[in-house]
Order: sequence, then C-alpha cells, then structure tokens
Amino acid sequence: MESIKDSVPSMPYRERAAWLALCAMGLPFTGYFVWVIAAPPTAAMPDWSTFTRFGVAIALQIAIWSLGTLWLRRRHPEDAAAPLDERDLAISRRSIQTGYSILFAVTCINIGCVFPFAQGGWKLINVGLASIVLAELVRNSAVIWLYRRGFHG
Amino acid sequence: MADRKLANHIRTLRFLQGEMTQADLGARVGVTRQTIAAIESGKYAPTLETAMRIAEAFGKRVDEVFFWQVAP
Repeated sequence: MESIKDSVPSMPYRERAAWLALCAMGLPFTGYFVWVIAAPPTAAMPDWSTFTRFGVAIALQIAIWSLGTLWLRRRHPEDAAAPLDERDLAISRRSIQTGYSILFAVTCINIGCVFPFAQGGWKLINVGLASIVLAELVRNSAVIWLYRRGFHG
Repeated sequence: MADRKLANHIRTLRFLQGEMTQADLGARVGVTRQTIAAIESGKYAPTLETAMRIAEAFGKRVDEVFFWQVAP
C-alpha cells in the first residue's frame, strides 16, 4: 500500500489560487485603509489624493493577481487547465454564499447603524469599499478553509 | 443517530488494480486527482453520481466501496 505513488501536490491548485486572490486583495487594501485612516480624505469632491490612493491599491491588486496567476499556471499547467469538478464547484458555491452573507450583513449594519443616511462623500464610499473587500476576503478564506478542512455539502 | 462519517476502500482498491494512481482514477471518473485524494481521506463526500462512477471503475457496487464508519 505504501508503494502507491500519487504525486498529489500538498495544496490543490484552486486553494493556491484562493491564497493568491486573498493576498492580492488583502495587502494593497490593508495599505489603502491604513493610509485613509491615518490621513482622512477631505470633504471636497472630487478628492484626487484619495482617488490616487484607490488607483494605486487597484493597480497593485491587478499586478499581484496577474503575475501570481501566470506563475501558478507555469508551475502547475495541468492543474490550471483542468476544468472545475463537482468539489470545486460545491466549494465555490458555498464560499460565494458566505461572502455574500457578510456583504449583506455589513452593508445593513453600515446603513442602519453606523451611517444612518447622515454621511456621504468619501466616508460612505470607503465604508462601502471596505464591505466589498471584507466580503471578498471572507469568500477567499472560506475557499481555503473548505479545501483544508474538508467539505461534505 | 450515532455520529458517523462516510469512509471508503478506494486506496485498497487502487492498490488491487495494479497501483492505479489517483490521477488515473480521477480521469476515469471525471474529477481532479485532488478530489480523489480528498474523497479517499474523507475530506469530501462525493455526489451519488461520482460514487457510482468510482464503484464502476473498480467493477464493484457502491456499498462495496463506500461504508459508514462510526466516529470514536
């Protein structure tokens, strides 16, 4: 039995891709929000300084994700080319469901409690952006968790 | 109902089939080798369709491949 050789990588390709997406979004936007908290945007609209910070964060995310994906595809060409199977699809569905629930809950809390129709401008934009980033981080974390801990539908 | 989980004899059956690899079995069944590895280790419970395809690949019935294991 020990002689069976399977050469299965320790981490599935989709889990690696989820780690990449998590880092690609988490690192630049952590920097963005730290920056925004340290130096809050002015009330004037448009605020080109904040817009530039946002642009840098998005550009970094795209760069990390694109380069990382190219690197992953070169290292694991067969796994990258393989279509999603039933486990991949089931994990994808569950993680989207989890991420959407977070997005919905955080948005409702923000609208109803934190900013009850009394705030606007960049504050509201950044809170909305933070909700989307959080939901996406939770979705990717759920993918990683379900591949690591197992998923039984 | 007792706490139990779905277990299987896939690893043994692969060995008996001339050391069939997870990739070979995955290709015959239509899933990735990582999914076969996850099924073998009990990290993923396959759909009925995949369970039947796996059993078919070994020339067995589903209940000869998959069984309930009572958790300790």
